Formats: sequence, structure tokens, C-alpha cells
Amino acid sequence: MYDLIIIGGGPGGVAAGVYAARKKIKTLLITDSFGGQSLVSSDIQNWIGTRSISGFDLAKSLEGHLRAQEGIEIAEGELAVSVRKKNDGTFTVATNGGKTFETKYILITSGSRRKRLGVPGEDAFDGKGVVFCTTCDAPLFGGKTVAVVGGGNSALEGVLDVLSYASKVYLLVRSEVLRGDPVSQEKVRSHPNVEVLWNTVVLEVKGDRFVNGIRYKNTKTGEEKEMPLEGVFVEIGLLPNSDFVKGLVDLNEFGHIVVDHKTQQTSCPGIWAAGDVSDVLYDQNNISVGDAIKALLNIYDQIRKS
Amino acid sequence: MHKVLIYTTPSCVYCKMTKEFFAKNGVTYEEKNVATDMAARQEMLEKSEQLGVPVIDVDGTIIVGFDQKNLEAALGLGKK
Repeated sequence: MYDLIIIGGGPGGVAAGVYAARKKIKTLLITDSFGGQSLVSSDIQNWIGTRSISGFDLAKSLEGHLRAQEGIEIAEGELAVSVRKKNDGTFTVATNGGKTFETKYILITSGSRRKRLGVPGEDAFDGKGVVFCTTCDAPLFGGKTVAVVGGGNSALEGVLDVLSYASKVYLLVRSEVLRGDPVSQEKVRSHPNVEVLWNTVVLEVKGDRFVNGIRYKNTKTGEEKEMPLEGVFVEIGLLPNSDFVKGLVDLNEFGHIVVDHKTQQTSCPGIWAAGDVSDVLYDQNNISVGDAIKALLNIYDQIRKS
Repeated sequence: MHKVLIYTTPSCVYCKMTKEFFAKNGVTYEEKNVATDMAARQEMLEKSEQLGVPVIDVDGTIIVGFDQKNLEAALGLGKK
């Protein structure tokens, strides 16, 4: 029986793990990998204390910091798939590897995953022109025409990444505004090889062996069109990884775990949540770290009282 | 001894993770950078029908992405 199980190995989970070890709380951290969603970022420039770091190096640094702590146990390569509350108030956490662990308290820092378009052709052409890791696969689209779908920071960064290779980039924005940082917006709008299509949603990804076009719709005029292209980069935002506690803790309409922002406690006594999986207003590495530490300190208070 | 070939791009973090996994398990491999090597890119497309990296060829078995469990199976790791 652990005192605490931390679910997730992003910045929040690691921060809580470091604090838990220093407080000598008997802790297990379960994660399929370290670093969180920033893992695939080519260059992070707002991780405080570090001018520039790749997502890969940030992940290594986080993992190294956690592993340097004495006493913390780590179940790596495991994904939590269910949490059950027992009659005595303790919990059982089950993983995709078929393991189960018992604990008194849980901190959920499981982050988010990428949202998909949910249109015909998206799954069939995943890895055949439909791209979910822009930094990974942008170099394969040299001299080609591609579309980036989305209007936030990840879409803008995606456009800038792929512009180094592609000859023409269409940015397909659902609304009439871009939500990303003004600096990136300016770079994207002023580039001669970028064309922004507003009020535009993708209806279908088409192809034979590989993607050769899309069907899309202007939501204002209702007009449907097709466009030949060879790559579709999906950057339309995130879904919280909260499925494994559905029904156990309160979620908001988007699936985020509702927390008390002073303590990070959820609606279920004994479970805390922090970072992007929670209903925090801003999804940021630095904020996840702070909120997870807040949660950990509150858990520590609880342990001392009990 | 397995014949292992990995197709990568320099900016691909899952490629790096796969190579780290090889290093940790003492797997020797050949690497082809499909960002610049067009012949290798064509070869990868034909073998895997994939326009995404990493693609790993273990003795002719094609594995797409950093799929640790499938890699272990193809390399006969984790079994005594």
C-alpha cells in the first residue's frame, strides 16, 4: 500500500514526485513516458531558468531529476487505465500492463492528448499524409503543398515548421481569428507561401496510397470545395486524459477534472489533480509544475493530519 | 544477430527515443536520414507505405513509430 500514487510523468507529475520524495511520502509514479506533451517541441523558450531547450532534453532533465530522488518508485511504460475506490476509502489503480497498485491518495497529472479531426480518411491516411507530429514529419514534405488545420499556437508553430520544407501551406482556421502568440501570427501572415482560409472546416481527407486532397467547407457561405494537396497537419488542440476516472471525480463539459484551485482537490476525497488534465485556465509547463506542487503540499498536510 | 535499420529525420523525438532504446539494449543498427536521403525515403515508402518516422526494419519486419512492445518482440528482448 502506497501513501501516494502520482499518475503522469510530465512536468507536473515529476515536480510532485520530487517534492513527495523529499517529504518521505511512500510514493509510486506511474507513467508511459516522461516529459509530457512538450516532448515533441523542437525548441521551448519559456521554461523558466532555461533560455532554450528541446522537448527531448526537457524530458531527460525532468526524468533525471526525479530518478535522483531517494525512495520514489517509478512504474515506467505503464499507463493507468482505471481507478477504483474501495469501501475503506483507499484506491486501486490498474495499468494497461495488467498491474494493480494500492494507495491511500492519488494525484492525477495525466495531461492531455491531441484532438483528432474525426472526419473520413483521417484514420486511413494516418502516417500516409495525415500528420500528428509536425516536427517529426515536416521534412518529408519538401516541395509539396500541405494544409495545417488549427488556429492556436501549435498550429502556428506547425506552419512555421513545415514552411522550411513545403512549397505552399494552407492554414485552415475554423473561426475568423488566430488565437496564437502575436509574434508567430505575424510570421505566418507575412509569409508569401502561406494562405489562410478562414471559417473553414475539413470534411474529408482523400487519397489512394497517400493523401492527395481534402474536401472542406466554408461555414459562413456553406460552400464546399476540394483542394489537391499531399499533407494534412492536424493541430486543433487537446483532449484531457481523464477517461480512467470518469464517474469517480467530477469533470467539466470538456472532460477536464474540476479542482479546488486553492488545494487542487477533486470532488472525490483522496484524489487531487493538476496540470492540463485539470480545469486550469492556462495549459503551461510552468503552471503545471506550480499546481502539482500545491497539490502535493496539500496531500502532505492531509497525511500529517491522519 | 538481427539486421536493424531505422529511417529517421533529425527533428524526430520518437526516432531519438528508439535509438536510445537500441543503445540501452545493445542493439546495433543502421540509420538512414529520410529528410535528406531521397533514395532512402523512397525505400521507406515502398517498404512501409508510411510517410512518417520512425520506421524500423528488423529482419524485414516493419515497425512504425517507437512501439517498444513490438520492438521487443521483433528483437527477442525481454525473454530469457
